[in-house]
Amino acid sequence: MKRFFIYLIAFLPIVYLLIRLFILDDVNDPIKYIYTITGVSATIILFISIIISMIKNKINLMKYRKEIGLLSFFYALLHLINFIVFDALFDFEFIIKETLDKPFIYLGMIAFFILLFMAITSSKQLFRKYNNYHKLVYISLILITIHWIMAQKSINITQFIYIGIILIIGYYKLLQQIVKNSKI
Amino acid sequence: MIIIKKKSWQINENLVTPKELFEKRRSFIKLGVASLVTSGAVMELLAKENLPNITLDFIKDENKNNLKLNTYEQITSHNNFYEFTTNQAKVKDIAHTLQTDNWKIKIDGLVENPMEIDLDDLKKQLTLEERIYRFRCVEGWSMVVPWNGFTLSSLIKKVKPLSSAKYIRFETLVDTSSFPDQKRGAFGAVEYPYVEGLRIDEAYNDLSFLAIGLYGEIMPKQNGAPIRLVVPWKYGFKSIKSIVKISFVDKEPLNTWQKENADEYGFYANVNPNVDHPRWSQKKERVLGSFLKQNTLMFNGYEKEVSGLYTKMDLTKFI
Repeated sequence: MKRFFIYLIAFLPIVYLLIRLFILDDVNDPIKYIYTITGVSATIILFISIIISMIKNKINLMKYRKEIGLLSFFYALLHLINFIVFDALFDFEFIIKETLDKPFIYLGMIAFFILLFMAITSSKQLFRKYNNYHKLVYISLILITIHWIMAQKSINITQFIYIGIILIIGYYKLLQQIVKNSKI
Repeated sequence: MIIIKKKSWQINENLVTPKELFEKRRSFIKLGVASLVTSGAVMELLAKENLPNITLDFIKDENKNNLKLNTYEQITSHNNFYEFTTNQAKVKDIAHTLQTDNWKIKIDGLVENPMEIDLDDLKKQLTLEERIYRFRCVEGWSMVVPWNGFTLSSLIKKVKPLSSAKYIRFETLVDTSSFPDQKRGAFGAVEYPYVEGLRIDEAYNDLSFLAIGLYGEIMPKQNGAPIRLVVPWKYGFKSIKSIVKISFVDKEPLNTWQKENADEYGFYANVNPNVDHPRWSQKKERVLGSFLKQNTLMFNGYEKEVSGLYTKMDLTKFI
């Protein structure tokens, strides 16, 4: 039942996006809007999956972590598909050139490939082998943050709040690590 | 003593319809019926098309380039107006706070006739025209807008610039009760007042336009009421909104976006598909309301009219 609700909530953004685009038809800049909805959804869901690991000693939701991580990857994939299909119109020469040229694009790409790697190695067997590398998610989160701030024309209060949340999580994670190390 | 005794069919004098009115009644009824019918039909049409009531008188643009207009709805619900918010879709809902009554524009600096002019007076003095222009935002979206207003040069001629005036500097209103973002101080989106500028020969170009309306209606607040600049061959941020001050100066003004980030935004900001923004390509643009992108044109399609202004200039350096 809990699992059902997780999926229900996680699919709300995509349902909302499709309604706005094709039923209400009131989106002025559809390509940009798809970027925003899929990007923000991927990031928030990724945050939730990280918070699950952080609070596992208090509230244990670990059995849902993998699926939540995969849901985040699902939105990241849509984000990339939007780039390839609508923004670049399948012009792969353009995509490669932009990716090599522009930090804004390659930071996003690296973050995506980290998530892709984690998605592929999320099966029980592979996770056992590669779970250490899953710490890369923190790198991915930092890259996503920079990528997102670079997407804005200027930084405003929303970005400051976001950076604030990142810093709190980073600080908390660092504290956890220190406590863990001192126990050993 | 005469006592007038009314017959039963006689009514009081004050209940009698005056003669003139009685005679007018047919035309009055006709007028009423006609206005009901036409306004009904027009209203229905307007509702269908979502167009505003045309309230301005102006010379129509023949639209020789056959540009396909964006809808009134699109133009007025997608606005970069950081004095309100950076959220383009939200500006429309909160722009009502902008106070535009008794709007005055101060024109000063290197001119023979400095003045503070009432916008309503100015409108009476100049002929209104329609200009159907492409509008290209530096962020990569674009639209086609039927503006109403007058050429910038017609205003310049009134104040007679001195020969020492090389640039024009424009300023947007600063008023915290009109603009919520101006209350946020250091957390504001950009530093206020918003400033833009043009070289004087750019300002004299016939394309440079001061718009006081669009689609035949006075300028909606979210689009920069009551008066804004429109320079169609430059990225949208050059087309400064809600102008209160125009100064003629001898040095290149430091415009807001150049001040915010000089690596990415310059003074000229000419639309140029061959010079990328450091973070994204400028080759194509997203037309509002469409999934399909189209190629961006050199000088936004106004190369013939303006390229002469920039001969001998390296457009990759003067961004």
